[in-house]
Amino acid sequence: MTPILQVKGITKRYGGLTAVNEVSFDVAEGEILSVIGPNGAGKSTLFKLISSFVTPTSGEVLFKGDRISGLAPHQVARKGVVRTFQETTIFRSMTVRENVIVAHHLRSRASLLGFFLGTSLARQDEAEFGASADGIIDFLGMGAIRDELASNLPQGHLRALGMAIGLATNPRILLLDEPFAGMNHDETMRMVGLVRRLRDERGVTVLLVEHDMPAVMKISDRIVVINFGQKIAEGTPAEIQSNEKVIEAYLGSEDAAIGM
Amino acid sequence: MEQILANGLYLGAQYALIALGLTLIFSLMNVLNFAHGQMYVMGGFVTYTVVAQFGLPFIVGLLASAVVLAVIGAVCERFLFRTVIKRSKREESTMLLAAGIAFFLDAVILLVFGEKQRGVPKIVDGVFNWDMRLIMPYDRILIGALAIAMVVGFILFMQYSRTGRAMRALAQDRMAAQLMGVDVDRYSMIGFALGAMLAGIVGGLLVTITGINLGMGGPTSVKAFLMIMIGGAGVISGAIAGGFILGMMESIGLTLLAAYGDVTYLAIFATLLVFLAIRPQGLMGKPWG
Amino acid sequence: MTTPKIPNSVPTSFGNSAASRPGSLGPARLAGVAAFLALVFVAVPLGIAASGRWDFYYTLTSVALLSIASAGVWLTFYIGRINIGQGAYALAGGYVSAVLITQVGMSFWLTLPLAGLACAGLAVLIGLPILRLRGVYFAMVTLVLTEVARLSALALPVTNGAKGITSIPLPGELSVLGLTIIPDFATLEDPKLAFYLVAVALMCLSYLALWRIVNSRLGHLCRSLQQNEELAASIGVNTAHLRVLAYAISSFFGGVAGAMFVSISQSIYPSSFQVADSVNFMLNCFLGGLGYVFGPMLGTLLLYFGWDLLFTTGQYQMLIYSSAMIVLMLVLPNGLLSLFDRKGGGK
Ligand SMILES: Nc1ncnc2c1ncn2[C@@H]1O[C@H](COP(=O)(O)OP(=O)(O)OP(=O)(O)O)[C@@H](O)[C@H]1O
Ligand SMILES: [Mg+2]
Repeated sequence: MTPILQVKGITKRYGGLTAVNEVSFDVAEGEILSVIGPNGAGKSTLFKLISSFVTPTSGEVLFKGDRISGLAPHQVARKGVVRTFQETTIFRSMTVRENVIVAHHLRSRASLLGFFLGTSLARQDEAEFGASADGIIDFLGMGAIRDELASNLPQGHLRALGMAIGLATNPRILLLDEPFAGMNHDETMRMVGLVRRLRDERGVTVLLVEHDMPAVMKISDRIVVINFGQKIAEGTPAEIQSNEKVIEAYLGSEDAAIGM
Repeated sequence: MEQILANGLYLGAQYALIALGLTLIFSLMNVLNFAHGQMYVMGGFVTYTVVAQFGLPFIVGLLASAVVLAVIGAVCERFLFRTVIKRSKREESTMLLAAGIAFFLDAVILLVFGEKQRGVPKIVDGVFNWDMRLIMPYDRILIGALAIAMVVGFILFMQYSRTGRAMRALAQDRMAAQLMGVDVDRYSMIGFALGAMLAGIVGGLLVTITGINLGMGGPTSVKAFLMIMIGGAGVISGAIAGGFILGMMESIGLTLLAAYGDVTYLAIFATLLVFLAIRPQGLMGKPWG
Repeated sequence: MTTPKIPNSVPTSFGNSAASRPGSLGPARLAGVAAFLALVFVAVPLGIAASGRWDFYYTLTSVALLSIASAGVWLTFYIGRINIGQGAYALAGGYVSAVLITQVGMSFWLTLPLAGLACAGLAVLIGLPILRLRGVYFAMVTLVLTEVARLSALALPVTNGAKGITSIPLPGELSVLGLTIIPDFATLEDPKLAFYLVAVALMCLSYLALWRIVNSRLGHLCRSLQQNEELAASIGVNTAHLRVLAYAISSFFGGVAGAMFVSISQSIYPSSFQVADSVNFMLNCFLGGLGYVFGPMLGTLLLYFGWDLLFTTGQYQMLIYSSAMIVLMLVLPNGLLSLFDRKGGGK
């Protein structure tokens, strides 16, 4: 079976700085794969390359065998490769529910003109989006705050909302950039459970960048480690924990020691 | 050919000086000074009053323009922009304030100086004629040379003076400048005054050649915007490049396109659209977003 | 523990929030709209007839048309762009209509939508490159555009230079299948009322359209664009396309308003719409409040009447007007309706 996502020798240079250097790996369908590495290693850049928010200097990304690098970000999203942002990026002056509803854009069958005229198909769409948004909101445990203005939410909820927005697009691959940042231990563990269920119940492939090592070790099927833009290791959590290079990279940095 | 180049250079020097003032204000306070053209017109009228009405030497008129406009600029910053920037949540507030000031200056000019075209007598007579290949009146050459000298002076001032360095620091990073102990309010005011002064000086210079009238304000602002879009907003080198490029394009356009009516600006705008599609930040501007 | 399942889409109910959706017409809203229509179509003409102030028709017609152009500017604000170029489209629309009437002999009623469409087309061409710019940069280009439009009108052969196009005939009859919908204006005793009614009808249509846009998916997407373009792209919105679409609609409004203006004044000059008009359109939106669909209408009304009242001050009109504008910015840098923000809170 071909992997759902193939990253092939991808490189991104910013002037003299090589943020991502010749990174290659494959992701199997239904897998949860984490990308870890010290601060500034190039993880976010890697995600931006995969979701086509930045164009690679060289190399390419294939989704189900088709090249997606070079497409516009919305086209990649349309194919089902959707990223969430490291910074809490949401639509600030919309309510939680409005945020999630508007993110259903890709699922609309009616045209914009249809929505303007209020055709029956458009109304059906609207109704579906509303219900589906409620479902997602409940799934992420945000039912109590669904009509709250997003700009009033605390950090932990913002992360969850970012994920809800991603989910609303009905992705095949969801790229989560530090989804557990700003959450306490209990919240993190609950989110870990949710990400798992996302994969188990809907078959969504998940890539995530995360600094919270216990969470990473718990959630991941496989881990890719990058340092200074280069991939230095790849393997199961157990393999990564005993990898010399990885330990070295982490001891060399000020990051927390790796481990459970 | 030589003629086109010389005309372009002459125009470009004036334009660069106007654009420098606009870009200085923009880089310091992120304010788009819509009233820049009106400040230029004001400068022209002040020189006109001093020279043609009071019969004083041209240089006195020019100095008077510089001082009056510097004061106007300082007052605008201190009492208007500073307040609005502190209190407003949106970018368009300062834009509308600047537009209000532009209307206000227009009204003042109308009341004080009237709507007639005004000019002062030539400051030097005679025409430079090189074999009919290049013909240029001496006063244009003088004014062009003065403008170029001022552009150079401005660059040196920004590079080497204490004030210039402080303003550059401020333009680069307001926060950092503040932490470094730069008095942000003071230098914003000086910068605004300096920018307005430059506009006034160009008005004073050009009143000897093209004269001045009330209607020139808006179009001058628009030209200044064009220049800093070509060169890149908020960058000194960009303003100078934009000024000279627009001067050249106008000079070429007026010569080549004259047969088709005055479509120079249409052509320049169309070129600008294509250029912006390729390079939205202008020639020298830093990429953003 | 029972955490709900993610639905595989297809809902059963709309949920209780449907009734409060802003897109729906509740009874209170319906009554408001009816009152407004009665006011502009019945009360105003009756009032003017009773008072004999026929000149008010001209003022109110102007307000109606300017508020259509302002509605366009408001829509560009809605995608997060500061548009100071609407004067260019009003001018272009006016010229399209004038040229089609005088040189092609087309009926005014046909030129009206054509003027709008021409401007929308123009906006696509111009918008593709410039809509990538943001903030001050976009504002700057659009302002330049207004001036370039004026210079082009001066220079191009078809627009007849500074002399403009004059003696444009009044709108003729509009009939469908032999049924007269609008009579020939030249046969009317007093076309003022007719122009007023047409202008107000156009205004109502425009704001209806704007209101539908804002409350339909298109508006939601515009809002998403305004708040965060990157995130909008990540949920699959074709941001470039959407921006151009909104800008084209905005310019359509400008073109229609311009064309209608021309038919009233029966003439157009390069200076008919200029930079000051573009700035005023923006000011209208700002004054009326950027968060409300009907804000630009309110802003235009206030501003135009303010300007008209100052007419008696003669040569000081501009001075007082601009001083008022400066003071307004000083006192209420966030717009007139920001007065209500404190008690309102939230949406
Ligand atoms: N747009 C850009 N221009 C220039 N350099 C950039 C740009 N974006 C990222 N970089 C640089 O690329 C390197 C990798 O950045 P990236 O954000 O991918 O790191 P990261 O692994 O996500 O770090 P963190 O854990 O802190 O989020 C950094 O040195 C960063 O400064
Ligand atoms: Mg990162």
